[in-house]
Amino acid sequence: MRSEEGPIALAAGTAAPAARVSSSKLTVRSLDFYYRGYHALKNINLDIPEKQVTAIIGPSGCGKSTLLRIFNRIYSVYAGLEATGEVLLDGENILKSDYSLNRLRTRIGMVFQKAVPFPLSIFENVAFGLRHHMKLSRGEMEDRVEKALREAALWDEVKDKLNTNGLGLSGGQQQRLCIARAVALRPQVLLLDEPTSALDPIATGRIEQLLSDLEKEYTIVIVTHNMQQAARVSAYTAYMYLGEMIEFGTTSDLFTRPQRRQTEDYITGRFG
Amino acid sequence: MVPAARALMLRRRGRNLFSKFLGTAATLFGLSWLVWILLVTLLNGARALGPHIFTEITPPPGAAGGLANALFGSFMMSLMGVAIGAPLGIAAGTYLSEFAERRPIWRESIRFVNDILLSAPSIVLGLFVYTIYVRQVGHFSGIAGALALSLIVLPVVVRTTDETLRLVPNMMREAALSLGIPRWKVTVQVLYRAALPGILTGVLLGLARITGETAPLLFTALNNQFWSNDLNGPTSSVPVVIFQFAMSPYDAWHSLAWAGAFVVTMVVLVLSVGARAFLLKNRMDSNA
Amino acid sequence: MAISSTAHSVAEPQRPSAPDRSAAETRQDALFRGLLFGAASLVLITLGGAALSMLWGGRLAFQTFGWHFIYSADWDPVGRHFGALVPIYGTLVSSAIAMIIAVPVSFGIALFLTEIAPGWLQGPIAAAIELLAGIPSIIYGMWGLFSFVPFMSDYVLPWINDHLGPLPWIGALFSGPPLGIGMLTAGIVLGIMVIPFISSVMRDVFRTVPAALKESAYALGSTTWEGVWKVVLPYTRSAVVGGIFLGLGRALGETMAVTFVLGNAHQLSASLLMPGNSIAATIANEFTEADSDIYLSSLIALGFLLFVVTLIVLTCARLLLYNLARREGR
Repeated sequence: MRSEEGPIALAAGTAAPAARVSSSKLTVRSLDFYYRGYHALKNINLDIPEKQVTAIIGPSGCGKSTLLRIFNRIYSVYAGLEATGEVLLDGENILKSDYSLNRLRTRIGMVFQKAVPFPLSIFENVAFGLRHHMKLSRGEMEDRVEKALREAALWDEVKDKLNTNGLGLSGGQQQRLCIARAVALRPQVLLLDEPTSALDPIATGRIEQLLSDLEKEYTIVIVTHNMQQAARVSAYTAYMYLGEMIEFGTTSDLFTRPQRRQTEDYITGRFG
Repeated sequence: MVPAARALMLRRRGRNLFSKFLGTAATLFGLSWLVWILLVTLLNGARALGPHIFTEITPPPGAAGGLANALFGSFMMSLMGVAIGAPLGIAAGTYLSEFAERRPIWRESIRFVNDILLSAPSIVLGLFVYTIYVRQVGHFSGIAGALALSLIVLPVVVRTTDETLRLVPNMMREAALSLGIPRWKVTVQVLYRAALPGILTGVLLGLARITGETAPLLFTALNNQFWSNDLNGPTSSVPVVIFQFAMSPYDAWHSLAWAGAFVVTMVVLVLSVGARAFLLKNRMDSNA
Repeated sequence: MAISSTAHSVAEPQRPSAPDRSAAETRQDALFRGLLFGAASLVLITLGGAALSMLWGGRLAFQTFGWHFIYSADWDPVGRHFGALVPIYGTLVSSAIAMIIAVPVSFGIALFLTEIAPGWLQGPIAAAIELLAGIPSIIYGMWGLFSFVPFMSDYVLPWINDHLGPLPWIGALFSGPPLGIGMLTAGIVLGIMVIPFISSVMRDVFRTVPAALKESAYALGSTTWEGVWKVVLPYTRSAVVGGIFLGLGRALGETMAVTFVLGNAHQLSASLLMPGNSIAATIANEFTEADSDIYLSSLIALGFLLFVVTLIVLTCARLLLYNLARREGR
C-alpha cells in the first residue's frame, strides 16, 4: 500500500533538482559484462541525458560502479573482463576496438572514490593531462589550470601554493583537486564513482554544491550508495540490483512514485 | 584446587616461563655474536687505519703500503655493476608489476626464479660470467667483475621494484589512465614518482650487497697489485685483497686486511642503515 | 599547433591527426612493454644460463670421471685425478652443524620478537638481527680466522677433546688436536651467518597467524608457550620448514667465511675437529692455480654440483613459503 506522499526517502524539505528536457548523451544498448566468466551486468539499457546529473544507486554489489567503469573502458587494463553490446557516445559505439581509448578518455573523465592526487605539485596535477594532449604556452597553461581550479571551487584556497605538493591538502580539497584535474581536459561527460564516501559532511556538501555548477557544462553521472545524496544532487536516477537495471526516471518520480516493487523496497530501506 | 590440577598448572606455567627464558637467551646469544664481530672488526680496523690506506697502493710482502688501488677498483666495479644491474632490475620489476596482467604463468615463473636467484651462491654467478665472458675474451677484467656484480644486484632490484610498484594504489593508475595518457607514460611519469623511495632503497640495498662480495670477483676481475685505470684488465678490489692478505703469513698484510675489513663494514652499515632510514622518512612524508 | 585555451563549451584537444596519434601511442606502449619483457626474461636467462654454462664447463670432468667423480676422494692435481667426495662431505657436514645451531636459535629469536619482547623493543632488536645478515661473508671470515679460531683452539676445543672425545661411539667426532680451524669451527660460523635468514622468515611467518586464532587459544586459558606450540607452529609449519630450507640453501653456498676457517685440507676424517674442505672453498682457493684443463673442468664441475643442490633446496624452500602465502590469499 502506498501512502499519499509516496514511500518517501527524501528528508523533509529537500527537493530533487528539476529535470530539464535534454537529448541523450550516452546511450547504452543491450550491454552485458563478464568478469572472468561471471555475468556481472545483464542486458543494461539506459539513456544518460545531456548536461544533467544522473545518479546510479543500488545496494552493494549491484554493479553500479562496474557500469560506470565501462563508460571510460578503464576495465581494459585488467585481464579477463569483457563487454558486449553497445555504448553510444554521440552516436559512436565506444566499445568497438577501433575506438581509441585515449581519445575516449579525453571525452569522458572520471573522479574516483578516494582522492588520488599524483605525487606532484598542485599545478602539475591539474596540468598533467593538458601537457600530454595539448601544446600550450606557459601563459595558456596557467589560464587553463586556473580555470579548472575555479570550476572545482578550489582556486581561492590554493592560488598561493600552486607549487606545493598535492598530498598536503585536506581530503575534501584533494578530491576537488582531482575534479579540477579531470575537468581541465574539458571532457563532455564526467563520471564520479562515490566521490564523497571518504569525506566528512562539510566537504561532501561543498562537492555536492559544485555539481550543480558543473552540470551546466558537463554531463554528469554519479554513482552513490547514499540515497539522500542522489536525491539532493541528481535530476535523473537509475536503480540497479544484482547486475540489472531495474528502473530509471527523474529523481523525484523514482523516489516518490517508484514503478517497480524492488525499487520501492530499496528506497524505503526494506533491505540495504 | 585439586593437587593434580595444581601440579599441572605449575608444570604449564613452568614450561611457559622456561620458553620465555630460552627465547630471550637465544636472542641474547645471537646479538652477542653481532657485537663480538663488529667490535673486533672496528677495533682492529681502526688500529690499522691511516691516510696511507687511501694514498698508497697495495705493497709486496713485507713492505708498507695502502689500499688505494683496491678501493678505486671496488668503487669502479660497484658503480658499473649498479649501472648495469639497477636499470635492468627496475625494468624487469616494472614488467612484473604493471605489464604482465595477461601472462600470469610467465609472471609468476619469473618472480619465482628471481627469488631463487636472490639466494643463489654468488660464486656460481662468478663462474657463469667466467664461462661466457672471460673465457671468450681471453682475459680477466674489471668489466667482467662488474658484470658478475650486476647479476647480484639484478634480483634485489627486481624484487624491490616489483613490490614497491604493487604498493601504489590501483586508483592512482586508473586516475592517470582516465586522463587518456598512454600506459608507458603513466608508468614513467606517475608510478615511478610515487614509487621512487622504494625503488631507490632497492638500489642502495643492492649496492650494499655487492660491497664485500669476494667470490664472484675471483674468477672475473682477479686482482692487480698495481694501480690500474684500465677496467679491461685485471682489477684489484678490497674484498679480494683482504682474502689474499689475510690468508698470508705477513703481519703488515694482516693489518691492511683489517683496514680493508673496516672500510667494507662501514660502507655496508652506512648503506643498509641509510637505505632503511631513507625509506622510513619518505614513507612518513607521503603520509602527511 | 596550439589550440585556443579560451575554450568554448567543448574544446576537443584533438587535432586532425588524432587517429595517427593513437596508433603511435599504441606502438609506444608495445615497444615499452617489449623492452620490459626483455629485461624480465633476463632473470630466467641468467639462471638457466648459469646452470648450462657450468654443465658445459664441467663436461670434461664428467666425461673423464663419470659417476666416479661424485664418490671419489682423490684430489691429485699432478696426477690429474679429481673427485668431489671430500668437498661434498665438507659442504654437507658444515651445513648440518650450521643448521643444528641456527634452527633452535632462530626459533628462539622469532619467539622472542613475536611473543616476548615489548612492542618498542621489537623494531631495534629485529634491525640488529638483520645487521647480522648484512655483514659480508669476508668479514665473518676475518673475524673467524683471527678472533674466533684462537678462541676455539684455546678454550673450546681442548675441553671438547678432553670431555667428549673419550665417549664411546660419538667420541670419534670430537677427538683431535685443537687446531682451531676445522669442521666444527666452520659449522659454528656458518650457523651464526644463517641465523638472521631463518629467524626473519620465521618471524614474518609467525606474524601472519590471524590474531583471532591466537586470541581464541588464550581465551581458553592457554599460556603463551602453548599458544605458540599448539596454534602458531602447526599453522605455519610448512613455511617454517621453508625458512629452514632457505637457511640451508645459503649455508651450502657460503664461500669466504668457510674458506677462512675450514682449513682447505683435502682429507676425509670422522672428527669434527679436523680441517676439511667444502665445494665453494675449493673453487675459491684453487681456481687461479688450476694449471690444466681437467683441473679447471673439475672445479667447474664442482660448481655445477653445488648449483644443482642449492637450486633444489631453494626451490623447495620457495614452494613451501608460497604455500602459506597462497593460504593467506595473497
